[in-house]
Amino acid sequence: MIYLLLIPLFFLIIIFIFFLFKKGKVLFRKFKTNSEKILQEDILKSVYNHQYQNSVCNIESLSEKLNKTNQQIQSSVDKLIDSKHIEPDNKEIRLTDSGKNYALKIIRFHRLYEKFLADKTNVNEKKWHQLAEEFEHNLTNEEAEKLAAQIGNPVFDPHGDPIPSPKGELPEVKGMRLSELNPGDISVVIHIEDEPDNIYQSIVNKGIYNGIQIRFLGTFNNEVSFYANEKLCSLSLEEANNINVGLLKLEKIHLGDFKKLSSLSVGQRGKIIGIAKSLRGQQRRRLMDLGIVPGTEIEVELESMSGDPLAYKIRGTTIALRKNQTEKIYIESL
Amino acid sequence: MSDNHNTDKIISTANKLRWEIGENLYDTLMETIYQNAQEIASKAITYSDKKPPFSLDRTLDKILTSKYFGLPIMLLMLALVFWITIEGANYPSSFLASVLVDYIHPVLKDLLTSLNSPKWLTGLLVDGAYLSTAWVISVMLPPMAIFFPLFTLLEDFGYLPRVAFNMDALYRKAGAHGKQALTMAMGFGCNAAGVISTRIIDSPRERLIAIITNNFSLCNGRWPAQILIATIFIGGLAPAYLAGIFSAAAVIFIAVLGIAMSLIVSWFLSKTLLKGETSSFSLELPPYRPPRILQTLYTSLIDRTIFVLWRAIVFAVPAGMIIWLVSNITIDNISVANHFIEKVNPVALLFGLNGVIFLAYIIAIPANEIVIPTILMLTVSQLGLTEFGAGSGVLFELESTADTAKILHSGGWTLLTGINLMLFSLLHNPCSTTIYTIYKETRSLKWTALSTFLPIVLGLSLTFLVTQIFNLLS
Repeated sequence: MIYLLLIPLFFLIIIFIFFLFKKGKVLFRKFKTNSEKILQEDILKSVYNHQYQNSVCNIESLSEKLNKTNQQIQSSVDKLIDSKHIEPDNKEIRLTDSGKNYALKIIRFHRLYEKFLADKTNVNEKKWHQLAEEFEHNLTNEEAEKLAAQIGNPVFDPHGDPIPSPKGELPEVKGMRLSELNPGDISVVIHIEDEPDNIYQSIVNKGIYNGIQIRFLGTFNNEVSFYANEKLCSLSLEEANNINVGLLKLEKIHLGDFKKLSSLSVGQRGKIIGIAKSLRGQQRRRLMDLGIVPGTEIEVELESMSGDPLAYKIRGTTIALRKNQTEKIYIESL
Repeated sequence: MSDNHNTDKIISTANKLRWEIGENLYDTLMETIYQNAQEIASKAITYSDKKPPFSLDRTLDKILTSKYFGLPIMLLMLALVFWITIEGANYPSSFLASVLVDYIHPVLKDLLTSLNSPKWLTGLLVDGAYLSTAWVISVMLPPMAIFFPLFTLLEDFGYLPRVAFNMDALYRKAGAHGKQALTMAMGFGCNAAGVISTRIIDSPRERLIAIITNNFSLCNGRWPAQILIATIFIGGLAPAYLAGIFSAAAVIFIAVLGIAMSLIVSWFLSKTLLKGETSSFSLELPPYRPPRILQTLYTSLIDRTIFVLWRAIVFAVPAGMIIWLVSNITIDNISVANHFIEKVNPVALLFGLNGVIFLAYIIAIPANEIVIPTILMLTVSQLGLTEFGAGSGVLFELESTADTAKILHSGGWTLLTGINLMLFSLLHNPCSTTIYTIYKETRSLKWTALSTFLPIVLGLSLTFLVTQIFNLLS
């Protein structure tokens, strides 16, 4: 008789598990991996990056970068030569025109997907690159254009890199390396290289993000020191070399005090300087729609029962914000 | 051809310009719009420099969101709303029941009989479709017509956003939005209305969480069943003078368990299934203002009460027919209902329930309000009791709790059955109206199915556990 119990219970548990693990969205789609195709595409991307940065590319540098043996790389490179995507030039490997287009297409997919993850999902920024590395190989052109349209045909990815156009156009590299600034220079982070992963993670962990304002101090004992949004910060030379800085158009430089909105307590006032770029997509738009834009005066009006959220007076209305938001809003004293 | 070429050229120029301008465009645009607006406004509007010495809004806010008074005031307000709803609904409910069930039902039956309609048609239409619809209207309409306007008045006055503001810390820890406290409170009135009210949550992830967990609020339709069962089985445990307190405590425990479940499930969902969905928080605290009573009455009656009632009726008509049919179609002289009950009984016993309860929850899906009448009718027809009820397939309820207890006890109910019924009444699928509303709001079969099956799985697991522990102990 006890077995009768198992029938409905089993059935219900199956349904439940089915929902738990069936992640039907494109977002989490798992793919059949075609490792040869992926390797070839990764090679094309690497060769393209070498050319973009004007460095020499050969079998050895590729195998090191992609973590494969020389034979594996060689066999894939041979196939790519057969399909006329790359051409050997002495010991060096160069892309043909069709190879370059192919590489740009993959880069476009990668950056579009990162932008999608940043704007439309809650996925942690440390995982974007890895997810995009898998996703880029499994997208058709139509799917990519649909995705692009869904997120407003962006031209920059969340790391500040330009996204190649569908026709394969890409602008010149802009800005300079962070380590090349002179003491006293003021600039803004415009690009953080997301490879190698461990360097990228440690940069992100130090609170550096695209759009953060840099006041450069200098390089001492291989430590690059600077103020990031007026907070003292230092990076290793290797980390600093993976960051590009420059002044974009419409960028406003702010001198003077940089406080977080979260540092105010009830009754205190301030003037908004800006919202950190790490608040993106819907969250950012929502705050701006509520009137949180540079120049707006803001006052802490009310504390909730537990002290978080707080209610702020903004342009005559009272709006409650959580601490994890107000930590990313910068203000100056009035 | 040249058209295409030109478009391409324009797009490529646009891309170049966008690369050139960089990412600051949107922010700068917003900033300029605000600046412009402010310039215009500052020319047209002047503010007096003096701050008023006393601001009612601020004082109210200080009290309503204070560390010490905030929570007690909130609980008091909620208790008051429920008390008015339950007390106030009694009279109109029994009035509606006496008109629709006691008076019109026999009249309709006589009318059809006098028209020489066959017995099965009379049964199907009058005892089945009409009676269950009448039942749903008479028990559902009055509480909703009282609860919704009261709730809307509090909202209109500006109190509810303060509740969300106070409760946000708790809900943030569960990965949800403070406004979920409000949709949950609305769910205590009616889950379908609660699901609709999640529209106030503008972040998609938190809204989905609020929709899926709304069913854990013990709705109006389930309170009477809880109270009845608690009175019979839990109250019976205590000495007579404590019986009332015992059974009230049991019902409150169930309601609090529901709140705890909704927080736990919210936390679980936000950590697993809904991890990747976007989330944003903002909550406006509008100024207090005197509520607009007439407008509130009108909108809450039309938008909420009539709307939900209509959906319930649409489902009650076919369900009433099914209820009548399963009790009256016989195979080998035993009704389909009794066949089902016999077959399911052994399984149901493992969950400390019985076949009647399982069948009642399946066929009474249009409204939780008719679960108890269905259980009574099924029990009576299963046992062949002739002293109660009005025949197979005809829903009924008894004035006297003692008589109800007598029926249930002769149906083999024990304390364990009572406890498990209370648990299962909290944790089972939402009524069909709510399920349909969830589908309408989410437009997704997946989330609708999850909201439907998740509570059943939880309910069956819990009752199974309770039964095994109970059997071990006794």
